[in-house]
Amino acid sequence: MSSSFLAAFPLVFTQDVMIAMIASAIYGMVVGALPGLTATMATALLVPVTFYLSPIAAIATIITSSAMAIFAGDIPGCLVRIPGTPASAAYTDEAYKMTLKGQAETALGICLWFSALGGIVGTIALLLIAPALAEVALSFSTFEYFWLAILGLMCSTLVARSSPVKAIAAMLLGLLVSCIGIENPAGTPRFTFGSTDLLGGIDAIAALVGVFALAEVMRALTQKDPPAIPDRKLGSILKGQIALTKRYPKQQIRGNIVGTLIGALPGAGADMAAWVSYSLSKRFSKEREKFGTGHPEGLVEAGASNNAALAGGWIPALLFGIPGDTITAIAIGVLYMKGLNPGPTLFTEKASSMYALYIIFLLANLLMIPLGIAMIRMSKHVLKAPRSLIMPVIMVFCAVGAFSAAGNNLYAVLIVAFFGIAGYLMEENGFPVAAMVLGIVMGTMVEQNFVTSLIKSDGSILPFLSRPIAAGLAFLTFIALFWPLIAWLRRYKASLDAASPAR
Amino acid sequence: MRISDRISGVFLALLGLAAFWGGSRLPPVPGQQVGPSAFPMVVGAGLMIVGILIALHIGRSFEEQAEAELAKHRQPDPEAEAFQRRRRWFAFLPPALMVAYYLLSERVGFVPVAAVMIAILAFALNAKRQLILPVSIFGALGIHLVFVKLLRVPLPPGPLPMPW
Repeated sequence: MSSSFLAAFPLVFTQDVMIAMIASAIYGMVVGALPGLTATMATALLVPVTFYLSPIAAIATIITSSAMAIFAGDIPGCLVRIPGTPASAAYTDEAYKMTLKGQAETALGICLWFSALGGIVGTIALLLIAPALAEVALSFSTFEYFWLAILGLMCSTLVARSSPVKAIAAMLLGLLVSCIGIENPAGTPRFTFGSTDLLGGIDAIAALVGVFALAEVMRALTQKDPPAIPDRKLGSILKGQIALTKRYPKQQIRGNIVGTLIGALPGAGADMAAWVSYSLSKRFSKEREKFGTGHPEGLVEAGASNNAALAGGWIPALLFGIPGDTITAIAIGVLYMKGLNPGPTLFTEKASSMYALYIIFLLANLLMIPLGIAMIRMSKHVLKAPRSLIMPVIMVFCAVGAFSAAGNNLYAVLIVAFFGIAGYLMEENGFPVAAMVLGIVMGTMVEQNFVTSLIKSDGSILPFLSRPIAAGLAFLTFIALFWPLIAWLRRYKASLDAASPAR
Repeated sequence: MRISDRISGVFLALLGLAAFWGGSRLPPVPGQQVGPSAFPMVVGAGLMIVGILIALHIGRSFEEQAEAELAKHRQPDPEAEAFQRRRRWFAFLPPALMVAYYLLSERVGFVPVAAVMIAILAFALNAKRQLILPVSIFGALGIHLVFVKLLRVPLPPGPLPMPW
């Protein structure tokens, strides 16, 4: 262990990795701070750049830019009550109320300080949990992988803040998309309609660029320009943060733990973590009445949570190739491209690369503090950048980025357009796009394990349930499938009880 | 843009039916029970079921609950909603421009097509008129420079040669 740990340092502290980290940090800060541009979009548009970087530098750009973007999303939330990324939406009101009370520095400071701490704790969790789980995962057969993948897909439908039926529909759509092409157990062209471009399947990166970047550009056309940022002198950003850390230790740790766990759940990322942590903080608070009036407590917990979720998302991604959130859904594609194929053996065969990844995570979160302060100071100018000129340039980036990510195939531009429309319409109508994206990314893996298992068992269902771990995973999957029904029945019963008072 | 659950549900069910039928017609692997048709048939059957459930408004109460929670965090803004309704068709401009890029970029070249795309979208987003021309020209040139020179992506050159 120690030798691969030491071997990781020269991998990270090279000129190209350092330059890549600083450049992607600035890029992530700006993208995150601009309302309407999300951390996932930042990652999707980075992919063509990662082609030309070394494996470690490529991963460093994704980790650094996403961490910075999630923090920077808090800045417009604090200053103009518009979340920069969806991950800040849960506590935007609270942060803005603090600004109205004249505590803009404290609010921004909490977001920065607890984001960095959250990111560091999340990384430590990743460092401790992932290798331990890898030991267990080494004994998994296709049966376990099949159930694990299905369980991941079901999780992504459970965590969606929408109808579970629509979430399952979105997931199945993603699986159907993954059926297209000849990459199936028999190598038969499936649903290609005679097109040679479809033979290779739907390029996942192009689809993700459509869903996460072009759909945002489309949405911008139906929304009014955000209000201008008022001129405000800001004092010391980090003043009083140590005192707050001492005052709310429980909230911070709870935020870290909940964030990491939610991040590790497939399909749920930083935005979900922030919502859950904010409401947990309110439920367990001694001063619940102060929530919503500019009270730092919820901000501490949710801010600690959403950045911890980023690291949590990498746990299932690295171990099983199951993305923990939409950012790692893109990152998995880059990992494969760079020869770091996800799987439990990654932690033994490429151990030094994994240590390099942890070091990058820690560095990125440390770098966040000085760069974050600089960004807050410059936010007045950055937020002035007119959306009406940024969105058109991003649209061209979508076209060019997908074209180069799909091996310089112009066909990818059509895929972007198609998935832009699909993502936009789905989001408008309550179909969670994250569930579809997981379906697209994991489809091949689900099918392979499904078909291989069926061949091994001679078409019998029994072996799917006879191995202990497989049976446990299957049990959890069925709970996840029927949970909405149970929840609905309980609610229905409660409403019946309320309607008919005691006889 | 809202589509009624009846329509989207029926659409999904039909898509599922098509996937099931298309999957069932795939040639089997000789000597094996399961082949390329198993997975699309399972997915298609699932889509048919959820499509019908959606058309019957099952699960709608979960959506209403989530919407109510979200509404608590947002103050109603009738002006923004009216704007959104008025501009709903504008949302399809970016994908339409992408299709135009697909059709034209090889013949006309990257820079002119990209510049016109930027200009059209900036105009639709009500950008300052005097900024549209410089941003579209320098934006297209800048992206071309980065992708062709730095990242070595072969963007279509078109009849106009670039100085780099």
